[in-house]
Amino acid sequence: MTRALKQRLSAAALWLVTFLLMVIMCIPGLWVVLSAFRPNREILARPPVWVPERLTLNNFAKIFGLGEAQVAIPVGSYFMNSLVIALTSTFVALVIGMAGGYAFARFRFRFKNSLFLSLMLLRTVPAIALSLPLFMLWSRLGIIDTQMGLIIVYIALNVPFTIWLIDGFFRQIPMSLSEAAQVDGCTRWQAFWKIEFPLAKGGIAAAGVFAFLTSWNEYALAAQLTRSTDSKTLPVGLMDFTAQFTIDWAGMSAMAVIIIVPALILTFLVQKHLIRGLTFGGVKG
Amino acid sequence: MAEISLKKVVKSYGRTPVVHGIDLEIADNEFVVLVGPSGCGKSTTLRMIAGLEDISDGEIRIRGRLVNDLPPRKRNISMVFQNYALYPHMSVRDNLGFGLKIAGQSRSVVAERVAEAAGILGLSDLLDRLPAELSGGQRQRVAMGRAIVRHPDAFLFDEPLSNLDAKLRGQMRAEIKKLHQKVASTIVYVTHDQIEAMTLADRIVVMRDGHIDQVGTPMEVFNHPVNTFVAAFIGSPPMNQLPAVVDAGRLRLEDGTTIAVPERLRARVRAGQKLILGVRPDDISPEGYGLMEDGESDRVDLLVDIAEPLGMESLIYSRLAGQEVQAKLYGPRLVAPGERLTCRISLSRAHLFDAGTGRNLEAE
Amino acid sequence: MLRALRVRQTALAPLILLTPAFTVMLFVVALPLAFSLYTSMTPYRLIRPETLDIFIGTRNYVRLWDNAAFWAAFWRTILFLAIALNAELLLGLGIALLINKLTWGQRTLRTIMMFPMMFSPILVGFQFKFIFNDNIGIVNNALQSLGLTDRAIPWLVDAQLAMFSIIVAEVWMSTSIFAILLLAGLLAMPRDPVEAAKVDGCNSWQVFRHITLPFLMPFIFIAMTIRSLDVARAYDIVHVMTGGGPAGRTELLWTLIARVGYDNARMGEANAMAYVSTLLSIAFTVFFFRKLMAARRYMGGAE
Ligand SMILES: Nc1ncnc2c1ncn2[C@@H]1O[C@H](COP(=O)(O)OP(=O)(O)OP(=O)(O)O)[C@@H](O)[C@H]1O
Ligand SMILES: [Mg+2]
Repeated sequence: MTRALKQRLSAAALWLVTFLLMVIMCIPGLWVVLSAFRPNREILARPPVWVPERLTLNNFAKIFGLGEAQVAIPVGSYFMNSLVIALTSTFVALVIGMAGGYAFARFRFRFKNSLFLSLMLLRTVPAIALSLPLFMLWSRLGIIDTQMGLIIVYIALNVPFTIWLIDGFFRQIPMSLSEAAQVDGCTRWQAFWKIEFPLAKGGIAAAGVFAFLTSWNEYALAAQLTRSTDSKTLPVGLMDFTAQFTIDWAGMSAMAVIIIVPALILTFLVQKHLIRGLTFGGVKG
Repeated sequence: MAEISLKKVVKSYGRTPVVHGIDLEIADNEFVVLVGPSGCGKSTTLRMIAGLEDISDGEIRIRGRLVNDLPPRKRNISMVFQNYALYPHMSVRDNLGFGLKIAGQSRSVVAERVAEAAGILGLSDLLDRLPAELSGGQRQRVAMGRAIVRHPDAFLFDEPLSNLDAKLRGQMRAEIKKLHQKVASTIVYVTHDQIEAMTLADRIVVMRDGHIDQVGTPMEVFNHPVNTFVAAFIGSPPMNQLPAVVDAGRLRLEDGTTIAVPERLRARVRAGQKLILGVRPDDISPEGYGLMEDGESDRVDLLVDIAEPLGMESLIYSRLAGQEVQAKLYGPRLVAPGERLTCRISLSRAHLFDAGTGRNLEAE
Repeated sequence: MLRALRVRQTALAPLILLTPAFTVMLFVVALPLAFSLYTSMTPYRLIRPETLDIFIGTRNYVRLWDNAAFWAAFWRTILFLAIALNAELLLGLGIALLINKLTWGQRTLRTIMMFPMMFSPILVGFQFKFIFNDNIGIVNNALQSLGLTDRAIPWLVDAQLAMFSIIVAEVWMSTSIFAILLLAGLLAMPRDPVEAAKVDGCNSWQVFRHITLPFLMPFIFIAMTIRSLDVARAYDIVHVMTGGGPAGRTELLWTLIARVGYDNARMGEANAMAYVSTLLSIAFTVFFFRKLMAARRYMGGAE
């Protein structure tokens, strides 16, 4: 056997081992996805049915109230609430985060490090701890159980980390590019939009995906600050599948798929920037 | 096409001043080079002219117009950055045309001027490439092209060649020189490489610690350094500097060796005065192997440490009065370590500096 | 006049740019925290609004001191975080090293690796509740089909097993983020030092120990800092999987706060606990952030 062939084979073997490990790691998630397409009967079968005999879309039909509707869960409005809340809060957080990240990356000012750290610390407050006063305050302000109430909270939840990421992306772009543009006749504002923004676009998109995922997946605050179909989000809606002692596993799995798919698509779209962006900000002084 | 004038220009970061009141008049079409060791404030000065740094105090005028409060875009200057600062997401063509487009020039004007600049710099075949697809020298040329398309009042260069290898640097140096002749305009050029300064400048500005030590043509600065710092900084290998005391009309070195006081300086020295004798390596050569043998001279004995034969000449590292002294030998003669060499020291080209202040006795 | 304006403008820019961020954070986080600090000094109960006006000073905090359930939850939370974070770090490091070794097909596996990151914590909770279900869960089914046991193991009912299951869920959810960050570190690592060390006769363990690991340290701290911003999301998992049970044996600070505040409606006391949990999170973050800053400084020379 030649050396080259041997190397190719061992590389392939290593890949296979790693691939299998990754698959094993994914099994818990995949199992839920699979269950979304299996009839309840099969999920509950004793002895267990390992190889699915037939796959079905019934579970989805059911939670949308189509066909033989037993559980009428307003998945449609949950989905819309989630979408509106996540998109709006992501957009606003990105705008605020871009301003803040640019300030940290491009200007020197007093107390810079302390300000940065204090932003991060405001983020570390546990959601459940924050939910207590927010619950009381939002009730008084009359924005409890509204999309607006949750949007505001999610903006705050996302601003610090968005700033962390975007600060890092801007710092990767040499200051001299903006300076060259200003010498070339741009205002600082023009230089930002024509030079720095296009270069940081990928990273900003990655920060956006992070913000979206956080809002899309959040439960602890949403559970306390929403009550009705006016504002309940998908993660809170998951609770609808639990009764006192039973859980509708098939319906819940179907809903899980609905929650996962948008997140999945978005993440894969920006995964390249995700990896670079996360670390760059932190390491480069 | 403009003169630039700096009056008492000061820059401080917070409390720390880094440029201490610089005065400098740059004439129209002049090529001025700022040199000095790292951290002396060259870039800061240049960036204040460009408008990229606020001026803490003093005045900067371009073409007679006070520009202290004008943002860079209103100063009509262009700048070439050390790392080129090419816009990575734009083709060479767009990089070149960016400034014109921002200024609202019509498309045909942009195309025409880009073509012109590309022609001057030999970039015509590269217009559709991205900066990442260019070599170092090509990027350097694009950066210069971006500067010339706008027909600015003045060009500012901040160490534009320091990222290139030695050979390319030589080439680009020549190109910059040619460019200055072709597009006749005021250039302020920052470098810490004294060879660049010597070869490019109409006038050299030597800076140290936020001050200007000397301003003059390359020959003035080389032949008449105002102090020991300039003497050591300009010229390679650097000028030898030997501490000496005036004793009985001669210069006595630390080991007792004496050397005549150059004739033109006799009137300026006092007995017992502590001085530094400055002699360039070119002006100390073994007898019969020197370049400048006529003129006033004296003799000294050097103890050779090593010699570096460079072909037609050799550089000799030797000792005199406990100091290291470099000398040049012109001609085909080999020198062995440990050898004692009797050398001629050219006094007509030697300098005397005050040992305390470092100032050249001849500087006004 | 003009000059003063211009100078002021550059000084003002960061202020203006940061105002929206700090406004939001003050309004949504700092202000409520101030309110909850006050509330934590009242005997406030949701069902009796007038109790909000009674000021009792630090009595809630003093009571916490003697509250055995609180301290049990407190130490359990610390233990939980210690085990989970270390497991995530080690597993993440292992995965990152494996993937970094691949010479081709790296992208595909990197993508697969990110799969768990997209799961909502609440969903992870349900998922593992499903998987560890003693009747229909895949774990028990598998063990029984393989003949390893013939009874249903009560994963979520037995106190120790329940804690174990929760940690598994938490580790599953968060390992990818560590793996991604450490992989990015490995990809950014210059090859020369590794090769120099090999030439100097280091074996692979020594290379890892003396070259790779020190280089990765800042990335480890980044990962830890990022994670510590968000440790409390484990609440969702516990809330779904066991609700703190059985008999409070998996109760963490966060579930305890929810129970006291919302189920028992004793907001004053819950807010006092919330304050303690907040300080705990802050301490965590500051600790790792400091380490990150120190590591950054010492990395500075290497670039
Ligand atoms: N933003 C800043 N804050 C504080 N000090 C600064 C800042 N920028 C530069 N300095 C200091 O100002 C001095 C002059 O810096 P400058 O960049 O002008 O040096 P330079 O002559 O261009 O050196 P080099 O040859 O290394 O480029 C240095 O001592 C530097 O430390
Ligand atoms: Mg400089």
